[in-house]
Amino acid sequence: MSILQDIKNVVRSRSIHVAYVDVGSCNGCDIEVLACLAPRYDIEQYGIYVHNNPREADVLLVIGSVTPQWVDKLRAIWDKIPEPKVAVAIGNCPISGCVYNRRGTLTSPPAEKYIPIAAQVPGCPPRPTEILNAILSVAPLIFKDYEEKQS
Amino acid sequence: MRSFIYYIREFLRPEWLKNFFFAKTAPLVTPSYFKDYPTLTDKECTGCFKCMMICPAPGGIEVLRRKDQWVPEIYPGHCIRCGLCVEACEEGVLTSGRILDITRRDRTAFRSWYHLEVDDALCMRCGNCCVSCPINKQEDPQLGSSGTSSSDEVIMRIEGGRVRILHEEKCTGCKTCETHCPNGAIRVARMVEGVHEEVEA
Repeated sequence: MSILQDIKNVVRSRSIHVAYVDVGSCNGCDIEVLACLAPRYDIEQYGIYVHNNPREADVLLVIGSVTPQWVDKLRAIWDKIPEPKVAVAIGNCPISGCVYNRRGTLTSPPAEKYIPIAAQVPGCPPRPTEILNAILSVAPLIFKDYEEKQS
Repeated sequence: MRSFIYYIREFLRPEWLKNFFFAKTAPLVTPSYFKDYPTLTDKECTGCFKCMMICPAPGGIEVLRRKDQWVPEIYPGHCIRCGLCVEACEEGVLTSGRILDITRRDRTAFRSWYHLEVDDALCMRCGNCCVSCPINKQEDPQLGSSGTSSSDEVIMRIEGGRVRILHEEKCTGCKTCETHCPNGAIRVARMVEGVHEEVEA
């Protein structure tokens, strides 16, 4: 256990940067993610910041059932995120396709086919508290002692 | 000057400093009336599948046979928490939030029936639907091979070279006619209507 790792652990636990990507949702889950930013839920008090730039993100929130236009682009976004990184599926759509998973719709769920998903938040849409709890519980699992786990 | 000193003293108060640096909103609790995933009550499921039929999400609910008993199972990740299965269940097997209280208070319910529709442009009057229907067979064992029948009690019969639907309300929704129709002309649709019982004054 090096001191550098300790410092990184402390910093990473209070500075989780989130990018969200809408891969063809109905905007219901986007609004719930937006509610997390609002004063009532206020994710910044937990040290979670939303930057819609994959280059500086740690957590990728995948929202929506994957439409054909997003199939290659979702992978490209995932590859742009620097390590350590984690993807969280928000809502039913990236898990099962929800109500769009039926004949005649242009979707190809689940999102797990394209990028590794670490956590799923079911719900249509999920409550902001559920989204918050998912990010807060999955982030330490991946980010704590990341360099030591690698070596 | 006095106000300046007042503010300096105010800002050095330990309580104020604590509030300023460690501000946190109150922990968020899920309210008791939140319409979460339906949970089972102690009532027994009869296996009428009304919850499965009304569910708008593909694969949201399934009624499974477990040890001589029907048990509805909700799948998170498919369920959209609309609560229609809770409302549709006549036995009150499922519960979620305040739905059961509200339906009891407002005396609302769902009424459902099967609607038969024949597309005359596609129908070629072969009578397969009338012959294959298991209810038709029960009502009139002498049902003709062309779908003609002398009985007025059958669901449908060929009359004057056309399919005539007589007793839609006897249909059980088995869709045997749909699978036996060579042209896909007959369609069985399950109709659902929300009803509100009038309170007698």
